[in-house]
Amino acid sequence: MLREKLNQLFTLYDPAIQTLISEVLTLEQAYISMERPHIKEPIDQIVSRLASKELERIDEQKD
Amino acid sequence: MKLERITLENFRQYFGRERLDFAKDKQRRVTVIHGVNGAGKTSLFLAINWCLYGEGANNVGELISKEAIKLARPGERVDMSVELDFSHDGERYLVKRSRRGIRMMDGSVQIDSSDEFMMMRILWDGQAQLIKNPIGTINAILPSNVRSYYLFDGEKIDDFAKPEAAKEVKDAIYLIFKLETLDRARRHLETAASDYRKELKNSTSGELINLLDDDERARGELRKKEDRKAEAAVEIDAARRKINDIDQHLRGIQNIKFLQQQRDRVGQDLKQRRSELEDVQYQIRDISTTSYFTILQPAIDDALQRLEEKRERGEIPSNIRRQFVQDLIAQMRCICGRPFTDGSPEHQHLLRLIDNTLPGSLEDDVLEITATLRTFSERVGRQRNDLTAQMKRRAELVDQIRDLDAETDDIGRQLKDSPLEEVSSLELQRQNFLADIDRYNIETGELTRDIEGLKEKIAHLEKRISQARKNERREKLLSIKFDLTQRAADAIKDTYQTYANDMRLRIEAKTKEIFKLLIWKESHFRDVHISQDFDLEVIDRYGRPARPELSAGERQVLSLSFITAMSRISEEEAPLVMDTPFGRLSSQPRNNITKYVPDMADQLVLLVTDEELRDQARANLESRIGYEYQLEFDPMTSCTSIVEVVRK
Repeated sequence: MLREKLNQLFTLYDPAIQTLISEVLTLEQAYISMERPHIKEPIDQIVSRLASKELERIDEQKD
Repeated sequence: MKLERITLENFRQYFGRERLDFAKDKQRRVTVIHGVNGAGKTSLFLAINWCLYGEGANNVGELISKEAIKLARPGERVDMSVELDFSHDGERYLVKRSRRGIRMMDGSVQIDSSDEFMMMRILWDGQAQLIKNPIGTINAILPSNVRSYYLFDGEKIDDFAKPEAAKEVKDAIYLIFKLETLDRARRHLETAASDYRKELKNSTSGELINLLDDDERARGELRKKEDRKAEAAVEIDAARRKINDIDQHLRGIQNIKFLQQQRDRVGQDLKQRRSELEDVQYQIRDISTTSYFTILQPAIDDALQRLEEKRERGEIPSNIRRQFVQDLIAQMRCICGRPFTDGSPEHQHLLRLIDNTLPGSLEDDVLEITATLRTFSERVGRQRNDLTAQMKRRAELVDQIRDLDAETDDIGRQLKDSPLEEVSSLELQRQNFLADIDRYNIETGELTRDIEGLKEKIAHLEKRISQARKNERREKLLSIKFDLTQRAADAIKDTYQTYANDMRLRIEAKTKEIFKLLIWKESHFRDVHISQDFDLEVIDRYGRPARPELSAGERQVLSLSFITAMSRISEEEAPLVMDTPFGRLSSQPRNNITKYVPDMADQLVLLVTDEELRDQARANLESRIGYEYQLEFDPMTSCTSIVEVVRK
């Protein structure tokens, strides 16, 4: 599957980066037939969710 | 995507419901649909496209079966729909697109404004689950902008092999291999990173550290001031004890003990007067703050005077209620109990009073206002008297304190000037201790003021620190968001070119492999290239680019090779639906295609004329055909029926 092949391209990167790319690619694919898709907000939602998880992880490591 | 079934209802020449199943076995994966020119092959091809993407059918009137419109009564509804069952990634889906129209009197049809489009996922138990975002789901399975590489018109297939087709080749590779998706993701992530960077720049970085420093300094200063205030209190206590000791000592010295005793009395008096003065000042403050309404006194007096004048003139009642006067008239009896007669002067007077009284509610209001104003006036008077008395008492106390202070000073002076050196020395020491107490009191006052100020400052800092902590959390989050998006965009950028080149080279190799299988002049063509500019080129045996010289059939084979190569390399499960694919091909390439292409696609649907598929080409496909249909066109009704060909 091409999707899996694409995800494999980023296996050397941090898991958070891999997840972010994978989710953004899924989003982009859903809007691929539109010339100017309005996906700024959904991308921000994905990034915010993953960033919050990262921040929690950093806090846990500190504790 | 693997097509399973299509059901048409009143779609173009397919009147009523017509259905066909697609072959999807691993071995028998080819569906052949025969039809003469005009029988409905292209309509069937259009039905698949229209059902999935709703495009390519601008003239809606032509989509609804004319036979269905003809048979409908004026005002009757005509339904047209296409249903497509397919599977993808182990899931089964059902897509239905429909349109409705109303048959008009003149035989035309008025179409509803928009399509109804519905997509369902069929669950393992056969239940259908509605998909809320059908367009997004279709785009994830087979995007509309890549469909033409899977569902294609055979007569236009040679587009990729035309000399000016570099852009089409590039677009095809970009879309099929999701390079466009990667590129868009990179651009959008870069934009997001840029936005987060701007937001970070505008945030108040480092504010928390500065505030915490300020807070620490303020608390340190507060501790010092409080310590110093406590020390001053200790010093004051010590000085007071020393003064008591001196007083005690002085009381024991025979010649001056009366002076000390006098000072003790004066001291007691002073303490009492000062305490009383404090109380009086408190009372004065209290009266002053609660008698704000005294400023209304002139207005109240003026209002009362005017009311009184009106009353004297008989314009408003003299506190006699209208009801009371009416009762007297009814009883024909004076207020003193004496009866009177009708028309008597007493009777006349009471009638005049009635005439001059105001209506009930207004009368009540006037009386009530008068009473309230009088209460106010009395209260103002009382307050004024209280204030005068307290001010007078204050002046008396101040005079008494002044006298007592003078008396104390006088006693002190007598003791200081005493011929007895011991007494003089003790008094001097006493005065020094008193001066110390004054100094410490002044210092304590300053310290108290500073401490209050510092406490206020710390409370304010605490609020700002709390806000800054929230901001810092937000900044941290923003910083991570920036970092994630920037690194993700960089990761795509770093990987993109390598991936694009890799795909290009793999497609190039696969296209060459397939082209060599399909072309009948395999010895004439040595190689197939896809340049870095995505120019699809064939190299002849002389090492020269041969594409400009390719025949229409050869271009069609080259295009088909390129499309099937993309399908193979992408490993995407998708059908190849080819409308009239062999029209321009001679028998040799036709034989080759029918021999090899079934293995190159997960599913193959061929819409062919009888002429296109015969002899060896037909024999090549025989073992791969799962379903075969004949489109039977009825010249009497201009309608087509789908008839399955029974295979032996």
